Parts: sequence; C-alpha cells; structure tokens
Amino acid sequence: MTGLVYKEWKQNRWFILSMILCGFAPLLVLLLLRGEIPNADHTALRIGGLIAGFLAAGALQMLVLRGDDRKLWGYWITASADGYKGFLRVKYEMIFGMIVLFLFSLQFVDMGYCAVAADMEKTDAGSINDIAFLLGFMQILFRAIDIPFTYRFGSKKGSFIKLICMVILAILICAVLVLNVDNMDRITEMVRKVFNENNSSLILSVGLVVCLALYYLSYRITCRLYLKGVEQYDG
Amino acid sequence: MTAKKENAQRLGIYLLIVSLFVLLFFVYRKLMNESNTVFFIIYYLLFSFSPAIASLITRAVTKEGFRDMKLHLKLEKNIKWYLLAFGLPLIFFSARILLPIIVSGHSEWFDRFTFQNVLASVFMLAALSTVQSIGLLGEELGWRGYMNQKMEPLFGTVGTCLLGGILWSLWHLPMDLAGWLDGEGSLSDSLMMCGGRMLLLTSFGTFLMWLTKKTDSVFPAVVAHFMFNQSQGALGGFLSQGNIPENVDLGMIASVFEYVPMVILAGIFTGLLLREKKNAPKTA
Repeated sequence: MTGLVYKEWKQNRWFILSMILCGFAPLLVLLLLRGEIPNADHTALRIGGLIAGFLAAGALQMLVLRGDDRKLWGYWITASADGYKGFLRVKYEMIFGMIVLFLFSLQFVDMGYCAVAADMEKTDAGSINDIAFLLGFMQILFRAIDIPFTYRFGSKKGSFIKLICMVILAILICAVLVLNVDNMDRITEMVRKVFNENNSSLILSVGLVVCLALYYLSYRITCRLYLKGVEQYDG
Repeated sequence: MTAKKENAQRLGIYLLIVSLFVLLFFVYRKLMNESNTVFFIIYYLLFSFSPAIASLITRAVTKEGFRDMKLHLKLEKNIKWYLLAFGLPLIFFSARILLPIIVSGHSEWFDRFTFQNVLASVFMLAALSTVQSIGLLGEELGWRGYMNQKMEPLFGTVGTCLLGGILWSLWHLPMDLAGWLDGEGSLSDSLMMCGGRMLLLTSFGTFLMWLTKKTDSVFPAVVAHFMFNQSQGALGGFLSQGNIPENVDLGMIASVFEYVPMVILAGIFTGLLLREKKNAPKTA
C-alpha cells in the first residue's frame, strides 16, 4: 500500500498541493475585483471566489484520474499484491484527502481574512465557512458520481457518457415538473412541510452523512466495474 | 550512542521546540489581546500546529527521517476503532455533563434534548469529524505520533501515559493562565483549571495512546481528539438553549462526574495497553 501512496504522491503532488492554492480563491477574487467593482459587497465577492475555487478544485481533483485508463496498467495493478481494489482505495482516499485539504485551506484563509477585517473595523466581514462546508460535501457527492464513470469508460468517454446521463436526468426532471405544473402549489407546500424549521437541521445532517455513505458506495461500485472498464481501455 | 540516549536526545529537542512555541504565546500575549491578526498568526498558524512542527523539525535536525509518522489511514482494518474514536468521547461527555443533572433531579433542563435534535447533532458531528478534524493533526502528529514513541522506551507505558498527559496539558498553560494574566480571574482559579485539565487530558491521553498503538495510525486519535473538543460544545449548546436558571451549582455531584468517568476510562485503557504490551511478540 505504501508503494501505491508513493506512486500517487509522485504523480499527483502538484495537484494535491494546488488544493491549498484553491483555498485562497475567495481572497484573490476579493483583492482583484474590489478595485474593478468598488461598490460590490465584499462577502458576495468572496462567495463568488469560493465558487470559482470550488470549480477549479473539482477540475484538479478529476485530473488525478488521468493516465490510469490504460489496459496494461489495469492488468498490472490487478496482478499486484494490493490488487485493483487497493489501487482504487488509495485513489478514493487521495481524492477525499484533496477535498479535505481544500476545505481546510478555505476555512483557514477565511479565518485569517476575518481576523484582519476585524482589526480594520470592517463590521460587515462575515465568515463564509458554512457555505464552504456545504460546498465541500457537494464536492464529495460529485466525485462519488464522477469516479465510477471514469474507471468504467475511461477518462474521455466517461465524461461524455456522464454528460449524457446528466442531460437525460435534467430532461426527466423538467418533464416531471412540466407534467405537474398544475399541482405545483401542492408540491411547493409539501416541500415546505418537509423542510420546516424543526426538520431542517436533521435533514441537513442526514444529507451530509448520506454524501459520505454514497462516496463509500461509489468505491464499491467502481471496484465492481473496474475490470469491465479495463477491457475497453485503449479501444 | 545507545537507543535510549538517542530517544532522550530526540525527546529533549522536541520538547524544547514545543516549549519555545508556548513561550511565544506568553511573549506576544499583549499584542495578541490587541490585534486579531496577531492572535490568528500566533495561535492558529503557529501554536496550534506547534507539536507537529516540532516533530518535523526534530526529525530533520536529528536526521531521523520521516518514516513511521503513522500517517496511513488504515481505514479498512480499523473501521471499528474509528467508530470507537467517534463514539467514546461522545458517550463520555454525555455521562460527564448529563448524569449529574439527572442525579440531582433536574431532568426538566433537558427540554431541548428531543430525539430529533440529538440525532441531528450526532449526524452533524459525524459529518464534521470526517472533514474538519484534520486541523488536529497539528497536535496529534506531535503528541501521539512522535512524543509517545520516544517516551515509551524511556519511561514505560504507564510513565508515558502520565508524563505525556502532564506535558500535553502543560502545553495548554497559556490558555489556562490567560484569565489571570489579563486580570480577569485569580491565580488559584487558573491553577484549578490547569489541574482539572491535567487530570482530564492525562486520562484521555491514555485512550489516544491506545488508539494510536492499536491502529498504528494517528488518524483515529485525530478523530477522538476532535470529538473530545466538539462533544462538549454540542451538549453545552443544547443545555444553553434549555430552561436552566442562572448561576446554577450542582455541587459535589458535578465535580465527581466531571472526572470519575474519565479516570475509569484511563484505568481501562492503561490495563489494555499493559496487556497488549505483555502479549506482544518479543523482538531481539
């Protein structure tokens, strides 16, 4: 296992370390744009930067999957002592670690910003940690969807198939909404009932744990699909 | 140089570096009180990571290398110990905070403890512990990942639990003395706080040491340490929203429950550490 960790570190250390830089995105956006848009709310700018950092970090997390969709590598790692399950476990742990590092960096930079802002007596400088925390879990969910597609179909084909699936899903949701347009008030009322003040914290916390469970489930699914995917690589 | 001397030298360098960081806290205390930025730099950037920084510097200076830092997750083999790391501090703090209230007959204070609220809180702690506990690597990499390893050959298992716990709590001294130094409390209050923390951390450190040795990874200790910090907040949060009269004092019962469960826990895990040491295969 140490060998696999070493391989991942050697291959992807810059991607891993770039997570720290992505955490600076809210601050960078604020510093770059506060001159351009003088009247803009600083918190809004930081949230914009946070989303930009989130997208950049997501793209970088996907880049660590590149290069493993080769038949020869697939056969070799399957025959190794750790097997393909060990290899996939290290990949999943590494990507999870990257998300945690990104979140940690974001929150640390945010704390630093709030400290400096407090010294400058900026009373409107609120923390964006809670949004960062929720985005972090969204990232875990997105990676749980991305990784099985990549290993089952290869990097390029996998992204394409995932895109098609997402489009189909979006069309289905739209179709359901259009078909129920007359009942929209009832649906809204139902949703409001479920997400009321008493339930919201429970639903949120359960949702977060479900994201973690889905990430683990994604690992198990990828383990099942990996060998089928290997047969199609280099095709 | 014998292995024992080498260990003592490394431990000495490590403790010297950590104490320099503690000193930094005292030297810049006034500035820290005046400026949030200085507080952030000294406390969050330097002090809270000082055990990890000290262990890395010591490894580099003594040319010991960076192997055996116990940074593997080892999740698959140790999932039950990770769950224990999550659950035990939560159970302990529930016993510590809630039992005295129940025993003293004030169950009406629990009006915020509905099943739904408690469940939400446990799930939230579970989610938080997976993504936000990483900051505590700054401590655990030093205390459990380095100091304990160097101490055990020198002072034995029980000695490491005791001395390691005392040193760990002394590292918190700047926080304990802050009130007195700022003129907001008496020295005896600060020393009482320091003594209480020493008892708690020495006891809890035994569990963290056992976890690290059992799993050969510092991450379960990181999770347990995170839960140690957060469980108090979660339970305190519920209680503060409840219907509790101001300046309430539960007297002796609260003091007993404050420490007794943790001392029992320490006894159990010291026993386990000694048993496992006895059963471990002897190496030449």
